[in-house]
Amino acid sequence: MTAGGYFGQALIVDAGTGTSAALPLPDEILRAYIGGSGLGAWLLTELGTPGAGALDATAPLAFVFSPLVGTPLTTSAKFAVVAKSPLTGMLTDALASSQFAIAGKLTGHDAIVIRGRATELSVLLVDGGQTRLLPARHLATMTAAETDAKLRDDLGRGWRVAAIGPAGERGVRYATISHDGRHAGRGGLGAVMGAKNLKAIAVRSAVKVATADPASVLRAARDLRERSFGPATAKYRELGTLANLLAFNAIAALPTRNFQAASFDGADRLAQQETVEGMRRVARSSCASCTIGCEHIYRVGRGKKARVEYENVFALGPMCGVSDPDAVLSASARCDELGIDTISAGGTIAWAMECAQRGLIDAPWLRFGDPAALLRVLDEIGTRGTPLGVLLGEGSRQASRTVGGDSASFAPHVKGLEMPGYEPRTLHAMALGLAVNARGADHNRSGAYEADLSGDLDRLGGGDAHVVAAIETEDRAAIMDSLILCKFLRGVFTDPFAEWAALLASVTGWDVTDSELRATARRIVLAKRVYNIREGWQPADDWLPDRLLNEPLTLPSGRVAALTAERLRAMIDAYYQKRGLDPAGRPLPGIADEGLAVGHG
Amino acid sequence: MTPTSSDPYDEQVAITAGVVLAGGQSSRMGTPKAALEWHGSTLLRRTAGILARVTNGPVVVVRAPGQDLPRLPEGTLITDDPREGKGPVQGIAAGLAALRGRADIAFISSTDMPFLHPAFARRVLRVLETSETTDVALPLARGFRQPLAAAYRVSLAEAAERLVAEDRLRPAFLFGQCTVETLDDATLKQDPVLGALDPDLDSVLNVNTPADYQAARARPAPEVTVQLFGTLAKAGGQSGPHAVRAATVGDAAGALGLLLDRHVTAALNGDQITRDSETPLATGDTVFFLSADAGG
Repeated sequence: MTAGGYFGQALIVDAGTGTSAALPLPDEILRAYIGGSGLGAWLLTELGTPGAGALDATAPLAFVFSPLVGTPLTTSAKFAVVAKSPLTGMLTDALASSQFAIAGKLTGHDAIVIRGRATELSVLLVDGGQTRLLPARHLATMTAAETDAKLRDDLGRGWRVAAIGPAGERGVRYATISHDGRHAGRGGLGAVMGAKNLKAIAVRSAVKVATADPASVLRAARDLRERSFGPATAKYRELGTLANLLAFNAIAALPTRNFQAASFDGADRLAQQETVEGMRRVARSSCASCTIGCEHIYRVGRGKKARVEYENVFALGPMCGVSDPDAVLSASARCDELGIDTISAGGTIAWAMECAQRGLIDAPWLRFGDPAALLRVLDEIGTRGTPLGVLLGEGSRQASRTVGGDSASFAPHVKGLEMPGYEPRTLHAMALGLAVNARGADHNRSGAYEADLSGDLDRLGGGDAHVVAAIETEDRAAIMDSLILCKFLRGVFTDPFAEWAALLASVTGWDVTDSELRATARRIVLAKRVYNIREGWQPADDWLPDRLLNEPLTLPSGRVAALTAERLRAMIDAYYQKRGLDPAGRPLPGIADEGLAVGHG
Repeated sequence: MTPTSSDPYDEQVAITAGVVLAGGQSSRMGTPKAALEWHGSTLLRRTAGILARVTNGPVVVVRAPGQDLPRLPEGTLITDDPREGKGPVQGIAAGLAALRGRADIAFISSTDMPFLHPAFARRVLRVLETSETTDVALPLARGFRQPLAAAYRVSLAEAAERLVAEDRLRPAFLFGQCTVETLDDATLKQDPVLGALDPDLDSVLNVNTPADYQAARARPAPEVTVQLFGTLAKAGGQSGPHAVRAATVGDAAGALGLLLDRHVTAALNGDQITRDSETPLATGDTVFFLSADAGG
């Protein structure tokens, strides 16, 4: 019997024909990988052709749900989109929240995996177990939001849509998949969908999902809801993640002008009072099934609105040296329209600005701090309308290979994924997390900055404590991203693995314990590494850009913040050792077999 | 300069450390000075905390065998002075010996200088950080040589131990065996930060008697600047900067009605982040209070 919270099957769709078949998902696989990010890693490993390109027709694109989706647990309406990243050539998994998660799961599947390529631009309809393709030439070059509105208008009630914008159609390697105005943002999943000639996927629920102990789930939901109103989520509720901007600036953790500095003289202007609290903020909003309400929506120009969070403001503001709040909000809104990841866009543009500054790219107009240049180059990228736009649409790693010179040394990426807004030289636990993470430079699968900001260790003196902290946050993320629960809830759990085990037990009926979940976390982290190794990962991929190792920062206190190659190497070596990997980062004999083995007898 | 440490995480730079001599007789004070109350903290906790702020290596507290010590910052090393009552050279020898293999340079302080400013220690340490040949940086401040507010090379440990064995217990004997650079008042005050924040060189004022202590304790706490970020700023209505008088991070938080807890941390001068309310403050410091639930 299938456990509560699951259907025990994935839907495998051929985008070439629109046909589909069910793939049974045995209970032991579901229990070993849970759902979301974890189950996605397993599906990608099983269904992907080893060595095949991310944009090949055969490449799987998996929308993976989780056992908590459809329950009343706050923040549970989430899903993971998992594929080989066209930006990194390795696994990427982007999480997002919306009604799409609920409708997608209630088609009766724990995952929907798309392979193949449609002969023309199409929309894939998944109506319960039935699938078909609709021609979508009339939707070409529309924004994801326009596509969503048009399709829901045409299809009628009950349909939920995930779509790509023009950038995904044109193969920008950091294009997003969008739904309800939210994005599965990182790693270029929109380009993968575009390569399948799919403008959108529309889902409609057909069935209900049962939980093992509904009364217990309801009690847990009430309890979690209450806790979600407490101080641990106050920042997200009252200010949104933008609250980080001035705090990170004060502690020299705000990457500025392509990591040439760690504090930004325009931060005050960017975060000025009227931007944050006054006239421009027009609404606060929540994801589906969420009680936190972290979304802070701002007015941009005539009638336009933009969701504002720390990462998009960091990437399009300080990273590019832009302090004009209007320009940053407009750039953020433009990224949404084009369907591109704000972090990779900002990082790649900041790198190009530095290249222009050094004369490596012939674009003298592309200057740090110039709002008009920022908006112009975004359009060139999203439309791939100019040679510069085509170059930058490849991301900073590939573009630096084309441009040459020493441009690779300051390309702000790990494994090809552009860096989020956390300065590794002043956050040493985070430096390790960014270097070793399977997805590349990523703050969601590795939230080790928490340890750096906790006051419990020296954020400038990376050592064993930082390694332990990075592993712990990686393991916690592996479970939260597989259950799936929003990480903004993480502060409300006092004994997280035990509390998560209890939640999972009440939904599924499994006798799952905290120690089992810890083993599951290690399995999921290992599975991603093993997938990457299969696809060509090399030890040098677990590393940070040279600039961060060779250019120390001086803090306002006078203290020098230097993340040397030696220190990073020592932390990575310790990480490998504690993870059961050999000195080259590969699983020791037997570890992969033991670690990935399923079964919980 | 090659580090002497074998710690794989250490940087390729000179490693500085602190030594606090806590074991003295305190005979004129009548009670152990190390444990004397100081704005909700203790004299020893304050001195160790100030040295932790200015060094990138460990802080060692040298105590008398079995001496009870007040709470110290996490990571503080404690070493016993094996021959109590032998005076400062014995303490210097014990402190430097404890730092062998861990640091190259140490600022050595007595425990009874409540106004020791980080800028003073930084200025003195800089002499050895920038010199290949000098062994001791010795302030000649407010009319006296200050061997217990001075910087020493850790490699002097053996010479100091030898002097103790020979019962030659005055620091002058040690200085006679090595290269000493003296820093007079004028030289010290030329440092722009020190000149601005401790113009009278109160850093070297020590308290030896109950009257000294009462007078020092009656002085107002250092003037510092406080800024609030994130939800703290919102809840408080303002982000600052606020000028407050506070000798510890906890006092600075209290001045604005905050309590350091699971959700609130402090960043001192934009540098180290702490939740330890006894972290000492000095004139001119800036404290940022942050929401510990950062990120996202």
